[in-house]
Amino acid sequence: MTQTATPATAVERAAARLLRAHETGVPCDPVRDLVGSADAAYAVQERITETWLDAGRRLAGRKIGLTSAAVQRQLGVDSPDFGMLFADMAVPDGAEIPAGAVPQARAEAEVALVLERDLDHERHTAADLIRATAFALPAIEVAGSRVRDWDITLADTVADNASSGMYVLGNRPVALADVDLRLCGMVVERRGEQVSTGTGAACLGHPLNAALWLADTLVRVGRPLRAGDTVLTGALGPMVAAAPGDVLEARIDGLGDVRVAFAKETP
Amino acid sequence: MSFDVQAAAAALDRAARDRAPVPRLTDGPGGAGLDAATAYAVQRAGIDLRVGRGERVTGVKMGFTSRAKMAQMGVDDVIWGLLTDAMPAEGALDTGTRIHPRVEPEIAFLIGREVTSPLAVEAAVDGVAVGFEVLDSRYAGFSFALPDVIADNASASGYGVGAWHRPRDLANTGLLLEIDGRAVATGSAAAILGDPYRSLRAAARLAAAAGVALQPGMVVLAGAATAAVPLPAGAHVRVVGAGLGAAEVTTR
Repeated sequence: MTQTATPATAVERAAARLLRAHETGVPCDPVRDLVGSADAAYAVQERITETWLDAGRRLAGRKIGLTSAAVQRQLGVDSPDFGMLFADMAVPDGAEIPAGAVPQARAEAEVALVLERDLDHERHTAADLIRATAFALPAIEVAGSRVRDWDITLADTVADNASSGMYVLGNRPVALADVDLRLCGMVVERRGEQVSTGTGAACLGHPLNAALWLADTLVRVGRPLRAGDTVLTGALGPMVAAAPGDVLEARIDGLGDVRVAFAKETP
Repeated sequence: MSFDVQAAAAALDRAARDRAPVPRLTDGPGGAGLDAATAYAVQRAGIDLRVGRGERVTGVKMGFTSRAKMAQMGVDDVIWGLLTDAMPAEGALDTGTRIHPRVEPEIAFLIGREVTSPLAVEAAVDGVAVGFEVLDSRYAGFSFALPDVIADNASASGYGVGAWHRPRDLANTGLLLEIDGRAVATGSAAAILGDPYRSLRAAARLAAAAGVALQPGMVVLAGAATAAVPLPAGAHVRVVGAGLGAAEVTTR
């Protein structure tokens, strides 16, 4: 049986379009005119990942996207997606993200897992994942889209490294035994005003469910999770548009809190 | 044309008992100028009709406790309604006795001592629990303006609470609403005015202003942690709260 393959040139052109938007900070057109399928879109993402690894960026983990029923419905998909986290995308708790560093920034509170063992089986059980997890941290993912106005389909966001931007990890590790990741409440505040609320169950029923999907999927595509990797497991509530000057604080019950600031635009 | 409080209360009372929705009061005679104070008078007249039939007031419920709901209704304060002993729906609930019921996960407080001052209401709390509220607007299409829903006792129709626990921090307690074992809504108690205790204090403030005493044994439903979802017949509904266990009801 033959499959209609997306021509290599289409993958190259889509990668080039997104890389140019990344380098210039000017959002681009969607890439769905070039890559239609999820597989082709992941080929674009892999092409961009190779470019960035060649440039010396260190792979520090993965992010999982599209983990909420509402967002899956919105994009007409029934599966999450993933993107690469590089070490230079991490900022310390409370630090300021420079203006323009993340295009069209949106923030969401998530559970981060930090691994102390490789996850390289073909299929993983919850036991494998729990044994491989050193600790959990509260996190804020600052997502961004290289695609103009977030005009994305599944193919567009997958090709665009799952719309990744930067991320902030909290500083106090919590053992999985000490937190209920399913029923932990989540709140994000801006200047004391609540802008998002949710709970762990909103992330595929449990953040570990999302991490299990990721572990199996990454083995299939040949870049398994390794000891030391950070996994951002997916949003616990609605995303928040971040404006210059904003300071956002996320609190996850039993896990702690974490903040991120956005620099004011330079006059 | 002046507004007839007793007639409005009677119409809403009949709508609930006949399971037949009525037009919005604000669209009816004298309804254009219906204000919140008059709407609360309608609510009280409706409760008086219930008490006249032998029902007893068992607590209060808070409404519009989420920022999203306040913005949607264009208000900047919560509303409240009264609960009676005809409303508890623990164990079983016949959806056929409602018009278009919805259910939402709640945090509940049990008043254990006399409330001497609204600011000191926390000291009067004996227990906290996860609970659910069954809403059933007496208006067609669940559609209403602010005075309408106040007059309609804040859509109160039924409620249930799980086991009482010692008072504790509930500011970011996760809540899950399941129907037939599947999660249909998830949220944090933070959605209730940022902290359910803030809603409790608002309940005490509004009760004091209205001359209603929060008495030992009364329940305060602090507000919903998620949007309400339609309550189907023939379903098992369960609300789970972190560290609080569950409250459940089976519908027919």
